[in-house]
Amino acid sequence: MAKKPRKRPQARKRKKTVKPRGNWFRRLFAYLFLLACVGCVALAGYAIYLDGEIRARFEGARWTLPAKVYAKPQDLYAGLELSREALIQRLQRQGYRPDDSLTSTGTYRSSGNTLDIHVRAFSYWDGERPARKIRLTFAAGSITEFKAMDNGEDLSLIRLDPLLIGSIYPTTGAGEDRILVQLDEVPDMLPAGLIAVEDKSFMSHWGISISGIARAALADLKAGRIVQGGSTITQQLVKNFYLDNERTLARKAKEALMAILLELHYSKAAIMETYLNEVYLGQDGSRAIHGIGLASYFYFRKPLSELQPSNIALLVAIIKGPSYYNPRRYPERARQRRNLVLDIFYEEGLIGEQAWREAKASDLDVGSRGQATTARYPAFIDLVKHQLRGQYDQADLTEEGLRIFTTLDPSLQAIVQRQLSSGLDAVEEARGIEAGKLEGAAVVTSVEGGHVLAFVGGRKAGYAGFNRALDARRLIGSTIKPFVYLAALEQPRKYNVLTPLDDSPLSVQLRNGDVWQPRNFSRRSHGTAVPLYYALAKSYNIATARLALDVGIPNIIDTLQRLGYPEQPLAVPSVSLGAVNMSPFQVTQLYNTIAADGYYTPLTSINAVTTAEGEPLSRHQLSLKQVVDSGTNFILTWIMRRIMHQGTGTGAYNVLPADMEVAGKTGTSDGGRDAWFAGFTDNRVAVVWTGNDQNEPMNLTGATAALPIWARIIKNIDARSLMPQPPENVATLPLRLIYAPGRVAYGDAGAQQMRYSRECDDAILVPFIASHVPNGLGRCDSDILSWRSSGPRDDNNDEPGWFERLFR
Amino acid sequence: MHLRMLLPTLAVGMLVLSGCSQMPSLPGQQLPPPAKPKAEEPEPIGKTSPLPPAEQPEITRPPTSAKPSEPPPRSPKEVSSSAVMSLIDSADKFAREGEWDRAAALLERALNIEPRNPFLYQRLAAVRLGQKQPQQAEALAGKSNSLARRNPFIRGDNWELIAEARRLSGNASGQKKAMDKAEQYRLQSAAYQ
Repeated sequence: MAKKPRKRPQARKRKKTVKPRGNWFRRLFAYLFLLACVGCVALAGYAIYLDGEIRARFEGARWTLPAKVYAKPQDLYAGLELSREALIQRLQRQGYRPDDSLTSTGTYRSSGNTLDIHVRAFSYWDGERPARKIRLTFAAGSITEFKAMDNGEDLSLIRLDPLLIGSIYPTTGAGEDRILVQLDEVPDMLPAGLIAVEDKSFMSHWGISISGIARAALADLKAGRIVQGGSTITQQLVKNFYLDNERTLARKAKEALMAILLELHYSKAAIMETYLNEVYLGQDGSRAIHGIGLASYFYFRKPLSELQPSNIALLVAIIKGPSYYNPRRYPERARQRRNLVLDIFYEEGLIGEQAWREAKASDLDVGSRGQATTARYPAFIDLVKHQLRGQYDQADLTEEGLRIFTTLDPSLQAIVQRQLSSGLDAVEEARGIEAGKLEGAAVVTSVEGGHVLAFVGGRKAGYAGFNRALDARRLIGSTIKPFVYLAALEQPRKYNVLTPLDDSPLSVQLRNGDVWQPRNFSRRSHGTAVPLYYALAKSYNIATARLALDVGIPNIIDTLQRLGYPEQPLAVPSVSLGAVNMSPFQVTQLYNTIAADGYYTPLTSINAVTTAEGEPLSRHQLSLKQVVDSGTNFILTWIMRRIMHQGTGTGAYNVLPADMEVAGKTGTSDGGRDAWFAGFTDNRVAVVWTGNDQNEPMNLTGATAALPIWARIIKNIDARSLMPQPPENVATLPLRLIYAPGRVAYGDAGAQQMRYSRECDDAILVPFIASHVPNGLGRCDSDILSWRSSGPRDDNNDEPGWFERLFR
Repeated sequence: MHLRMLLPTLAVGMLVLSGCSQMPSLPGQQLPPPAKPKAEEPEPIGKTSPLPPAEQPEITRPPTSAKPSEPPPRSPKEVSSSAVMSLIDSADKFAREGEWDRAAALLERALNIEPRNPFLYQRLAAVRLGQKQPQQAEALAGKSNSLARRNPFIRGDNWELIAEARRLSGNASGQKKAMDKAEQYRLQSAAYQ
C-alpha cells in the first residue's frame, strides 16, 4: 500500500522535468507526501522492532529476584516459656492484628488467659503448612495448653510463620528487590482502586487515553508547565519497564507507541499483574522496594491477602510518589493522600460507608522506621552471606529468589542490640570517655546445635558498616585462659583444681632475644602456691604463663583448634595471656564447645535453603564431635563458675539472681583497648566485645566494661541456670575454699583443718577426675594442698593413665 | 535397605532400623528383657582391662539397694513434652519408611525444643546410622550418654548404637568393647526389673 503511490509521483516528476516551471507547489506536496510515506515505512519498521523488544522483555525472565532471608520460625507448644504479652508483641511485629472474628489469617483474639491465633499458611523447607486456628492458654509466663480450634488434624505444636528479615541483592546496581505475586493473590480492591485513582479508562483504552492526555494537556496549559502526565497504567508500566526517565516529546511518543503495542499483545490482566510486580514503592537504604508483594511486607509486615482497606489505599497513594509520600518519613502527607484515595474508593463503590469511615480514621500502621527492613539485621545477613559462600554462586543468591531460613531470633536480637547500645553509653559516661568513641559487638548462640540467635556488629542498630562481630580481629586477653587451664586439666595426673601454681615473677628469654616478663593486673605476685582454680578465677597472669609454659604452647594451640579455632597462631609464650587476635564470632565458637559438654558443633546461622518455589536445596544437619572429655569439661566449667562467684566475674551478680549459675571469663588487652566477656548458661552462650575502632587505649577492663553488658543480656534472653551434674568419671568432695593470697597456708589453714568434722556447712563440692583425687584429701578439708600433698594420687599406678594414652 | 537387614543382628535388637518384620521397637519404647549374665562372673565394673582410646573409664556405681524404688526414665514418654513426643512419633514413622533425612529434620526440631533430652540424641544417632554416618552416630550416642548421666537404660542402648557404628566403620575391636559396655549397662538395668 505504501509502495504504489510512491512510484506514481516519481513518474510524474520525471515527466514534469520537461516543464520545470510548472507548479512548484505541487512538487512540494509530492515531496511531503513522499516523506510521509517513508515515515510510515520507518514507523512500521520501528514498531516491529519495538514489538520484538517488548515481547522479549515481557515474556522472558522479567526480573532477577534477590534471595529472601527469614528469621527462625517460633515453635508454639505447651510448656514453652513465653508470656502472652511477649507473644502478642511478636505477633504484632509480624503484622498479625487483633480481630475477634478470627476469620482471616494473620489475626488473633485475646481474652483472659487465652490467646487464639489464626496462623498463616507458610511454605517451609520441609513442606507446606496450611493455615490453622489454635488456642493457647497461659499461666505464669508459659504456655500451659495448646490445642487446635479448627477441624484439621491433631496438633501438638505449630510454627509461627517466620519474619522476613531481609534479602540478598547485588551490591552493585539499583538494588531492586521484590516478591512476585500473581493477580489472583491480590485483593480485588487493590487493582480496582489503582484503576480508579490512576487510570479510570484502563479497562477500555488501548494503551493510551486521548481524554487523559487532553485532560493533562489542559492542566499543563493552565499551569504553564507539565503538572500532569496523562499516562495510563500501561504507559507507566512501559516507562518503568523499558524506558529511562527522560522527559522529551520523542520519548513520550515512543512510550505511547509501546503502550499500544503492549495492549495489542497482552491482556489487561497480564498488564496489571506485571505493573503490580514492577512498580516502585519505596526505598530501604540502598535497596529499592518494588512490587506490591514486597511492599506489603515492607510497610505492613504481612502478606497481601491480609491487607485492610486502609493499607491498600496507602499503597495506591504511595505509588504516585514513593519518596514524597513516604509514610514513615512524612506520615501526615501520606495520611492526607491515603484519605483522598479512600474517598475515591468510596465514590467508586469499592468500599462501604462504614469501612470507609473506619479506614479514614485508622493509623497508617506502617510500624516504626526500619521495622521489617534489612537494615535492621545487617551484621546477621552478612554472616549468612559469609556462611553461604562456597555453597552457592553469588548470582544464584541475588537472582534466583532462593529462600533462606536462618536461626535468627528477632526478639533476642533486639534485646541484645539494645543492651549493647545502652551499655556502651553507660560505660562511656562512667569512665569519662567521649560519647560515641566506644564500639562493641555481641553474639548469642543456643549452645546445643550451635545456632546463632543474635548477632550484633556495632552499637548503632541497623547501621550496615563494619561488622565487628565477624570481621574485627582483636586481642582476646584473658578470655583465652580457660583453654590454657583446659590443656592442663587434660593431664589429670599432673593437674587438678587444687594444684598449687607458682605466681612468682617470671622472665622468659625469647628466641629473638627479647625478654618476656608477664605481670599481674595488680602488679603484685601472689606467691608460689596459688590453687589452680583460684589462679584462673582471679585471672593471675604469671601463674597462667608458668602453667602454659609447663603444658606447652603447642598443646594450648592444639586445644584451641580442637575447640573450633580455625587459624594457626604463632606459638609464642604470650599466646597464653591472649596475644591472639580473634573475632567475637570465633571466641563464641570456642566457648560454645565448652558450654556443650565438650562437643564441638560448628556455629551456624542457616537452617535450610529452598528454591523460590519451596523445593529444598540444602538443610543444615546437626553434627557433633567430642573434643573434650566430659569430666575435664565439667571441671573446667566448675572453675568458670567460681570465676563468677569469687573471681573477676562477680559483678554479674549485681544484675543476675544469686541462684542462677553461670560460667564465664573476662578479658582485657593491653592499655584497656579491648574488653571482653565470654560466658554461658545452660542454654545460651553470649560473648561481648567492646573497644575502639582505631584500637586506641581506652582503659577498659572486661569486668567493668563488657561484663555488665553481658549480664544484662543474659538476664533478658530466657537464659536458664546451669544444672551441673558430674559425669561418671568425676568424683566430688565437699571442701572449704578458704585460700586467699597472703594467708600463711600452713599455719592458718592447717590450724583450722577439721578433717572429719561434719560441720562444714560452707563447704563446696569440688570436682576431680575420680581416678586422680589427691592423696589424703577428705571431706571438709580446705583447698590448700601444698602443706599436705603436692600432687594428685594416681590410681592406676602400673599403667599410664587413660588420659595420657588419649592425648599423648 | 542394607542397613535394615543388618541391624536386626544386633544382639538385643533395639533399633529403629530393624523395621523388617513387625513394628520395630525404638530405643526406650519397649525394651527387650535384660540379657542374662554370662556364665562366668563379669569383671568388676570400673576395673576393666585397658580401654581403647576415645573411651573413658566409667567409674560406675552399681545401683544401690535404694535405687530400684525409683528407676530412671527408660522411655522418652517419661521425660518429653507432648510437642516433642509428637515429633518423635512422626520421626519414627519416617525412620520406619527409611526416610532418614525427614526423620532427622524432625528430631533436630525436637532438639531445639528440648536440647538436653538424651532420648532425642539417641534417636538421632540411630537415624545417622540409617544415613550411613557412623561417626556422627557415635558422637550423638556419646552426647546422649553425657546427658543421660547414670541412666543405664539409655546408656545400654547408646553403647549398642556405638557398637553398630563401629562395626559399620570396620572397627571390630571397638565394636567388641562397645558391646561389653552395653552388656554392663544391661546388668545394671536388670536391677530395676
